[in-house]
Amino acid sequence: MSTPGPERVPSTVKVGKTTGQGKPPTGKPGQNRPAGKGQAGKGGKGRKPVTPVKVSGGRNWGPIAVAGAVVLVAVGIIGYGVYASVQGSRDWTEKMADIQGVVDYRAQKNPQIDDRTHKDGALTYVTSPPVGGAHNGTWQNCMGDVYSAPIANEHAVHSLEHGAVWITYKQGLAADQVATLQDKVEGKDYMLLSPYAGLDKNVSVQAWGYQLKTDDVNDGRIDDFIAAARVKASMEPGAGCSSGNTTTGPVTAAQNNGATMPSAAPSNAAAVPSAGS
Amino acid sequence: MIRDLTTPDADSASGVTPTADRQRFGYAALALLLVGIVLGAAIGLVIPQFRTPGDDSVEAGFFRDMSTHHAQAVEMSMIAHAGSATPSIVTLSADIATTQQAQIGYMQAWLRDWDLSPTSDNTAMAWMPDSAGSVVNGLMPGMANPEQLASLRKATGKDLDIQFLELMRAHHLGGIHMAQEAEELSDNKDVDWLANSMVAAQQGEIQLIDDLLKQARSS
Repeated sequence: MSTPGPERVPSTVKVGKTTGQGKPPTGKPGQNRPAGKGQAGKGGKGRKPVTPVKVSGGRNWGPIAVAGAVVLVAVGIIGYGVYASVQGSRDWTEKMADIQGVVDYRAQKNPQIDDRTHKDGALTYVTSPPVGGAHNGTWQNCMGDVYSAPIANEHAVHSLEHGAVWITYKQGLAADQVATLQDKVEGKDYMLLSPYAGLDKNVSVQAWGYQLKTDDVNDGRIDDFIAAARVKASMEPGAGCSSGNTTTGPVTAAQNNGATMPSAAPSNAAAVPSAGS
Repeated sequence: MIRDLTTPDADSASGVTPTADRQRFGYAALALLLVGIVLGAAIGLVIPQFRTPGDDSVEAGFFRDMSTHHAQAVEMSMIAHAGSATPSIVTLSADIATTQQAQIGYMQAWLRDWDLSPTSDNTAMAWMPDSAGSVVNGLMPGMANPEQLASLRKATGKDLDIQFLELMRAHHLGGIHMAQEAEELSDNKDVDWLANSMVAAQQGEIQLIDDLLKQARSS
């Protein structure tokens, strides 16, 4: 910008060459092009042999092609790196949203599902199986535990709050299909499996605020659900799955045995148990 | 800018080749500089991804698997801590539970720091070469099976002490093996530091466990 007028002139020749194809108004650049070539050639002989190579008006396609290829490769590599890092750091909730058929109950902001208070005795839930809501002070042990009989919702919901993925299946499902589900659970903390009475599909998978139902135990979405939600769905990062209830069957009156959280409000508990099934 | 320059062009377009070349070089250099800055910024944004372990790395696999492995040690230790009447067992189990739970915190925090998921759908031990067959019913080496855990929960007194010590001894051996492999396979200083401390602490504890087992069996 600070360069004096005349000095800037030459650059316009270049501009004319690169962009002037469709710009007749200036007139000169178009006419200059062949002349420019000639000049560059002559100039090369007379003065600096190097300069014509650098900018030689007649397109020297070789170097341009090489440079272009290098830039393309570089952009490709960097582009892939950016893409990979963006994909890798995608939030787990986005991965959940990508799984067809997953119901996002967190988005509904239903106060009954979002309720995280501790209450003794039998509790009612909005969904079947439940995906959230008030729960017993004791969680169900979720160290990859496989329960062969139905477990109490009130304990299982507490496990969901700790980040567990709870797989439930229709009671009476064939043994080989149960075994398929068992393979997904055994040896994995933050997982538990149990049959569920009156389930409307063969399988229902729950994390806190999320649910997926399917009739096929080999449905790949079950694995996608586990991969996306396990541990990450925790409402209390760092909360564990051991020291929980390991028995099956309905919640016992005022069951609050294990290492429970002192924040549970035991004084409210007495008023609640009549909530029914 | 292009339009600014086209106007004077008409006035004096002829016979200015040397300055023209210099000018062209100047603009080419400027363009190269700009491209360089853009590429540099892009590389700078991406490079942390190359410097921290990836999703399929030994480091990530070890931290995820060891978190699960540790979690069972915490589970067994809490059972013993709550049920044992032997002061040395109560102390040992508290030590194991608190140490390993804290180490889970380290491992999970590093995974989070690396922008990686705390879990993955990889098979357990997939990060370790020649590990095929070491996972039985989803259980990594040294881990107690559901029947052993159920038995531990029911046990009392001397029976509880012995079961806990035996299960924890096997658990430590499996854990030491994994930690040694991770230390060997990884060059990450955090991984090496933590894995090394696990090996040292658990080897020391195995000696203590052997002493306590002797006492428990002879009592």
